[in-house]
Amino acid sequence: MTESQRPLSGNGRPGPKRPVTFRVYRSRAGSGAEPRFDTFQVDVDPRMTVLDALEDIRTGQDPTLLYRHSCHHASCGTCAMKVNHRDVLSCVTNVLELGTEVVTVEPLGVLPPISDLVVDMTPLAEQISPTGLKTLRLSEYNAKAVAPEGVGAYHRFENCIECGACVSACPITNTDSDFLGPAALAATYRALLKGDTLPEKLYALADCEHGAWRCHTGWECTSVCPSDVDPAGLLTALRRRVLVQKVRRLFGIGG
Amino acid sequence: MQNAVERGGSRGGTWPLQAISGIVLLFLLGLHVIAQHFVAAEGMRNFQDVLSYIRNPLILVLEVVFLVVVTYHAMLGVRGVVADLGLTRQQENTVNVVLTLVGVVLVAWGVYLAWFLVARA
Amino acid sequence: MTTQTSRWQRALRGWFDPRGRDAGLIAFALNRISGLALVLYLVLHLCVLSTLTHGEPAWEGFLRLAHTPLFFLLDMALFAAILYHGLNGVRVSLIGLGYGGRQQKSLFYGLAAAAVVIWGIAVWLMATV
Repeated sequence: MTESQRPLSGNGRPGPKRPVTFRVYRSRAGSGAEPRFDTFQVDVDPRMTVLDALEDIRTGQDPTLLYRHSCHHASCGTCAMKVNHRDVLSCVTNVLELGTEVVTVEPLGVLPPISDLVVDMTPLAEQISPTGLKTLRLSEYNAKAVAPEGVGAYHRFENCIECGACVSACPITNTDSDFLGPAALAATYRALLKGDTLPEKLYALADCEHGAWRCHTGWECTSVCPSDVDPAGLLTALRRRVLVQKVRRLFGIGG
Repeated sequence: MQNAVERGGSRGGTWPLQAISGIVLLFLLGLHVIAQHFVAAEGMRNFQDVLSYIRNPLILVLEVVFLVVVTYHAMLGVRGVVADLGLTRQQENTVNVVLTLVGVVLVAWGVYLAWFLVARA
Repeated sequence: MTTQTSRWQRALRGWFDPRGRDAGLIAFALNRISGLALVLYLVLHLCVLSTLTHGEPAWEGFLRLAHTPLFFLLDMALFAAILYHGLNGVRVSLIGLGYGGRQQKSLFYGLAAAAVVIWGIAVWLMATV
């Protein structure tokens, strides 16, 4: 986990509950009604996460509240949303550690809103897909591991859980819908490193006006990433690679 | 929504030029500011000081180079801000043309001023 | 991709809204603001220099204006913009190519502090000349 995702309150012991006000963004696709903010009071246990609070609201106060959730432990990337204007995974965002009496909950930005806290993740998938990044990678653990008989090597999943936090946090994706975005560009670099896709195709993805060059190093993507992808670091390393390629091509050197 | 690759073309890559021109400007602009504000008495050159300054051939060359580089960096910068707004290809082309014209006008204006001071004042 | 907000509203909110955002976005926003201010200054500067073509009296007139307190303040604001944009620009060039990304926040604070120090020296020099 990165520093932006602090763990649940220290010792996991229950404590006195405290009342917290939640301002939750509400909207309904196709209803024609203007989006609004609904206010809910929740008595928050020190161990509660924002996702726990949303469940509390849905089961106890407003069953029409829509949000996505799955694993509840930062592995699936389903529950990403803006909490107090910051893009986080709600399942690991402790409410009381936010330190505010009012907690504002909104859907991710940039991605097309559907209803309430649910957004359309299709554009993200459409951006990442062309990179051809395979979700499995060789584990770094192999260097130290003694694999048992019959096991060739250990593999693990790529860090990116495609939660969309980085895309929502990026200042450029907010205005330029053609920008490939941090997730896709990070995937492009990972695919390049692993040889998952033809390099020419990846360089074409990265080296266009709305590819890697549109990044202004706001570094918000890396800051909000709950899964240690470091999209900004990968994207800028990709830029360096593209530049080296261009220079090589200019001088007719191989590669 | 047509993605960036489908729209075609490798039109990326002015960023490195933006960075390089910026680094060069650190020196040129630094020199310029020091020469204008921290050399002359009272921190500003009077009319005769300006003339003797710009009539120095080395300085004239440096100042014109400075003007070209700073205008280039400025126009590229504005282009970047506008491009981030997510325009259509056609809108972007229009912006490029406009900014190029503005850049040329600014440089021409500055060069004219320099010529005037060197030859006519 | 949002439907009702205009391009400009999204730009203002996406680029300049610091709520929930980190130091890197502040650095970017300030770079953009100082950059745009400097472009305007470039045009203004050429206008001012044009008074030279009207001879010594015209330029002397401008110099009188240049010694007023308001002008001094604007000049110091200009220095601040130049220093910030230049020093952060070095940072952007470095991290933009993947060098020092992990230290980008410290780099920002360090360079911002350096900009303030140099600015302070410049103000003092200009005020005492």
